[in-house]
Amino acid sequence: MFTHSDGTVTDETLMEAVRKGDLAKLGILFERHHRALFDFLVRMTGNASTAEDLVQDVFVRVLKYRGTWRGEGRFDTWLFRIARNARADYFRTRPPDAPIDEAAEHPSGAPLPGDLLVRNRDVARLQRALMLLREDKRELIVLARYRGMKLDAIADLLGIEVGAVKVRIHRAVKELRDIFLRLNESPSWKTTNSVGSCPTT
Amino acid sequence: MENDKLSRLLPDDVDRREAEGLDATWRMLDGIDAPTPDSDRMRARLDAVLDAVEHAAPATPPRWFSRSGADGVRFYAMQGLAAAAVLLVGVAIGRYVVPDTTRPADSSSEISAMRSEMRELREMVSLSLMQQQSASDRLKGVTWTGQLDRPSGEVISALLDALMHDPNVNVRLATVDALERFASREDVRRAAIDAVDRQMSPLVQIALIDFLVKTNERQSAPMLRRLAQDRQVNTAVRSRAAWGLQQLG
Repeated sequence: MFTHSDGTVTDETLMEAVRKGDLAKLGILFERHHRALFDFLVRMTGNASTAEDLVQDVFVRVLKYRGTWRGEGRFDTWLFRIARNARADYFRTRPPDAPIDEAAEHPSGAPLPGDLLVRNRDVARLQRALMLLREDKRELIVLARYRGMKLDAIADLLGIEVGAVKVRIHRAVKELRDIFLRLNESPSWKTTNSVGSCPTT
Repeated sequence: MENDKLSRLLPDDVDRREAEGLDATWRMLDGIDAPTPDSDRMRARLDAVLDAVEHAAPATPPRWFSRSGADGVRFYAMQGLAAAAVLLVGVAIGRYVVPDTTRPADSSSEISAMRSEMRELREMVSLSLMQQQSASDRLKGVTWTGQLDRPSGEVISALLDALMHDPNVNVRLATVDALERFASREDVRRAAIDAVDRQMSPLVQIALIDFLVKTNERQSAPMLRRLAQDRQVNTAVRSRAAWGLQQLG
């Protein structure tokens, strides 16, 4: 398929053009995907500047490895595969970014109405719990919840069966909730996990 | 969104009550905002890369390529013989010396070729960023050089050029840091000595003095002595120069 029903050219067609040397088409792909990539990477790293550098790195890699594009799968899956590798390579040579600090729980400092205050505090703790979650589990939650990726697309990206994706999502959300509850019991509770660290298994 | 309801993403055998409990956490995730990217800046950086790639000098054909006549024929014949000899030696080494690990060797050489290409592109990106109008892009370019495994002479020249001529103090300061990796090179140390005199910014002068002390560059002693005694030089720079002299002994 070369175009969508609304007449726009598909990502795969654009990437094919990039592969053949029409590098300007990479600009269109960038416009279509950089926000999603940035969102994925900033939620994974907890650092906007790092995420921005990584998005840049992803498109540099697309450019460099354009010859390896075979047009057999979905472009966005290929792109996220590159993003995962770029992120892993980045943290292989650098220490993880600093974890989110307590101050982040009250970003504005302005007084808030009771319910909203509680809700904001809960969301801030959940965010902290998410960053304390092991990286491979956080990745699943980010892909499914924030990127809205379908189960079969996640399975394809991670190279596992759909059933395995379901089991892992279940475990990840369960662990997220446990960390969140423990943070609620004791705000100073910390785990040995650190932000941006690589999975241990 | 299809994934708004967690139960659709869980295995079928998960207890309904448990699924509902987890779904509350799942829905609360929606409240976590993420920052928005600076799309214009990111696009400008990508355009700089594309520009650099498209305007990279096309490979010039080697000189022997234009040979003609008898000279050319003789030359190609010699080349053919040399290639055959290299091939035979290679086969011999492969058969008698190297164990049968052809496949891994192939893939590892492929990976190393890809790494080398990646390195070249990163280098190109760094150089391209260092030529941008925006100081923050140039700063990024200088910082990116820190990610290069084995930067070429071109990168070092660009850093030295930025140290001498970049109008932005922050870029020049970052350049001093970036050049520390190459402190073993005499041209870099010499350029650092020259740069102290040329700098208008006391901050950069002090950073350079620290650099020279750290690298134990004794040839900078006359320059430091002169600075330390010059009453027209910024007081902080003068006292740093005196301190530097002391350190170098």
